[in-house]
Amino acid sequence: MAHIHLGEGSFPLWALVLWTGLGIALISTVVYRVRKGGIKTHQIALAGIGAAASFAIFQLNIPVWGGIHMNLTGLVGILAGPLLGALIALVVNIFSAALGHGAVGLLGANTLVNASEAIVAYYAFRTLVRMDWDILPAGASAATLGLSAGAILMGAIIVVSGVNGSALPRTDLTVAVAGLVGLNLGVAVIEGILTGFVVQFLVSVRPDLVGLVGRVGSDESSGVTA
Amino acid sequence: MDRWKQYGGLLGLLVVCLGAGLWGFTSTGGALPWAKRSAQTLQRGVQEGSGALIDFGRGIVVAGPIRKGGMMLEFTGLVVLLVLVGIGLYVYVDRYHGLDEQERAAK
Repeated sequence: MAHIHLGEGSFPLWALVLWTGLGIALISTVVYRVRKGGIKTHQIALAGIGAAASFAIFQLNIPVWGGIHMNLTGLVGILAGPLLGALIALVVNIFSAALGHGAVGLLGANTLVNASEAIVAYYAFRTLVRMDWDILPAGASAATLGLSAGAILMGAIIVVSGVNGSALPRTDLTVAVAGLVGLNLGVAVIEGILTGFVVQFLVSVRPDLVGLVGRVGSDESSGVTA
Repeated sequence: MDRWKQYGGLLGLLVVCLGAGLWGFTSTGGALPWAKRSAQTLQRGVQEGSGALIDFGRGIVVAGPIRKGGMMLEFTGLVVLLVLVGIGLYVYVDRYHGLDEQERAAK
């Protein structure tokens, strides 16, 4: 659920410029690589459905840990890949900011946070599958790692930027932000386990969607087709 | 890889994250909604607090800025639009994939 929920004007101007610039650099790299390498057709559909699911769940506050929301960015990264995962993070953040959930000025920072979750989850999942892990532990571990990476990046962005209007010295701010990051790691457990089950289900019915046909074998599929 | 190592690794990761979560929960005010917790913690620093980890009585609610800002219709419309686009893409890709296979078979 890592997402910077601060209002407009919370970060100093130099920080806005820095994170927006880095966000633009990331998205530019992604678009360049998509144009150069192309996209597999099945990923287009997964990206569309992933964006819908991620946006919807982004806005739902569940009554756990005092009230939190999930992102599904780990799942999106595993299914759609790191490039489309980063683009989905941008789209979801734009729509969310348009509705008032997250500041428009923090689009760059929030895109970096959520894209990092998708990218880390994707590469962690592929690495674990190559190490011959089962799908459930691989999916759950990868999503948890991805979300943890996003939470830590979120904390780092807040600490580096500082918060306008906060009288806390930098060390106290760092401890306070560490507490928020810690809570995000707790949420990553819930989302990680959920992601593991979803990926396992998808691999059992449509291994081609997850790019694991060779590993699972098409004859193990239950025959569900689109 | 041995299954016990896989699940042991996953369990270790989850235990570390849960521990961090519990520390974060208590050190940032306990059972508070995220927006309130975040604002309070960043303004005043860590403050011990407690409360139920799970409160089903509150139910699942739409994020405050949308609910209180009267944007429920826009939110619902966007979700429906994205779902329709997703399903449309799925159908398109399925048909396109089929055509691609037929072309390859013809060649």
